Amino acid sequence: MPKVVSVHSYRGGTGKSNFTANLATTVAAQGHRVAVFDTDVPSPGIHNLFCLEPEQISATLNNYLWDEKPITDAAYDVGANVGLAADQLYLVPSSVRADDIARILKDGYDVKRMNDGFRGLVKALNLDYLFIDTHPGLSKETFLSIAISHVLVLILRPDKQDYQGTAVTVDVARQLKVRNMLLAINKAYGSLNPEALKQKVEATYSVPVAGVFPLSEDVVQLASEGVFCTKFPDHPVSQEFRKVAQQIMEV
Amino acid sequence: MSDMQSLASSITAVTSPFRNYLQELHERYQVLNDGALADYIPELTLAKPEWFGICVVTKAGQVFDIGDCDQLFTIQSISKAFVYGLALEDHGRDYVNSKVGVEPTGEAFNAIVLDEKTNRPYNPMVNAGAIATTDLVKGANSTERLKRLLAMFKRYTGRDHDINVPIFLSEKATGFRNRAMAYLMLNFGMVSERVDETLDLYFQQCSIMVTAKDLAMLSATLANGGVNPVTGERALDERYVQDVISVMLTCGMYDGSGEWAYRVGMPAKSGVGGGITAVVPHTLGVGTFSPLLDAKGNSARGIKVCESLSHDFGLHLFNVAPPENDLAECIDGNDANNW
Repeated sequence: MPKVVSVHSYRGGTGKSNFTANLATTVAAQGHRVAVFDTDVPSPGIHNLFCLEPEQISATLNNYLWDEKPITDAAYDVGANVGLAADQLYLVPSSVRADDIARILKDGYDVKRMNDGFRGLVKALNLDYLFIDTHPGLSKETFLSIAISHVLVLILRPDKQDYQGTAVTVDVARQLKVRNMLLAINKAYGSLNPEALKQKVEATYSVPVAGVFPLSEDVVQLASEGVFCTKFPDHPVSQEFRKVAQQIMEV
Repeated sequence: MSDMQSLASSITAVTSPFRNYLQELHERYQVLNDGALADYIPELTLAKPEWFGICVVTKAGQVFDIGDCDQLFTIQSISKAFVYGLALEDHGRDYVNSKVGVEPTGEAFNAIVLDEKTNRPYNPMVNAGAIATTDLVKGANSTERLKRLLAMFKRYTGRDHDINVPIFLSEKATGFRNRAMAYLMLNFGMVSERVDETLDLYFQQCSIMVTAKDLAMLSATLANGGVNPVTGERALDERYVQDVISVMLTCGMYDGSGEWAYRVGMPAKSGVGGGITAVVPHTLGVGTFSPLLDAKGNSARGIKVCESLSHDFGLHLFNVAPPENDLAECIDGNDANNW
């Protein structure tokens, strides 16, 4: 049975795309068939981590949402770019063309069609996992991805704005009867005790913390040009990603 | 409903397994090309045979729409059931009963036949009965009566409706048979003397533009005791909801009504525009639109959809056996296994 994993955060800059790419790659590396949807149509970017250049992209999620292309035309095999075999990891990118972004912001799109696109691709590619990278904050798309997810991964930083926003998101997710929720703490600075932080956050939201990621200069240095865990498989950050991926697979 | 709840409900309607179920029905019956477009007036032949919409609105106000649910078409005979409700509100049951019976005819919808003893038309769903019913709509003049009728439809659907003028004029220009029936009833004193005004109003009510979603709202409002489940507005006095639903069950599907009651068991009304509205009391309303009609004048794809819904969820009015699928579970579920 395919599993849908949404990676979300209330605020921007928490590392959603980075987490999505690393978790999807880690899960695919275990032999599962995986696709990643970039539903962050106002500010897409995850294609950079998978080294998919705009000139290689003909059809995007936008074209599907506008009923111009079937969803399968917008799915790109990116496995080779992250050291995986062919037909193992796919990406459905959103358009980075300013006109396309303006059009989708102006006209909106049918959220039902997005849902049909998820389901259509899962069927067409016989996927085991569908990862959804989202736009920060709460919107119709966020609601949809939360409602259909088997696992919702919420990322937060140790910051008051993140704490408050996460409380709102957790509340919404519960109202949408989300099946499984995991928290991941990112950019924990050096003086924080990871275990104490984990316990405090778990107590606050009554949601398990799947991993605590340090504020890492190594991740920043990669500058989104590749998936960290394939470049530095033995790095503690990669180990933490494997830990989170394991919990997603065990759900 | 709070805004949060209503947004959550709209999203769960998108992700509900019931929507997938309806989508599968849509795919299954889209390929059926049985039946023919109505062609007694040229305007109706402009419909595209592939048009097909399925909409279900639940008592809780969830809307499930698949396919061509925003395509406008004329309501035609479906209007009859709802105008009957308005006549009941205007005059009460006894008076309306004295003018129109509630007996299925087994004859075609346009038969020129009145009850020999009472001179009443047999029921409000055949043309004669519908004209007698429209005659009962109160109002000082034709404009006021039409306004009241349109306002009634708005209470049911939650939106304003327009009349398709070319279709109205075509219906009016070719409606000799209806004109004959109206004058026959005038002869027996069954309708008032404003016959021409009433006939105009009748042709206008048949030419109201609706969508499959509107049809689902109409029946969902009946299912919800006369209150629109989305807007919360009352459209019909709750005392008369059962009257309207009963005549739909016994007479709503033209001379196919008996078989419909037996096989499907959802009180329904069809129109030659291609619409069907079907009620599952206390539960939901169904609206379908597909202009290909069977020999009895009912939408061929619409019939299939209602048959499947009735069978798959045990929605037949008189069903007592456990259904194959639990409707509430399917609607509210977030079926992880259904990927």
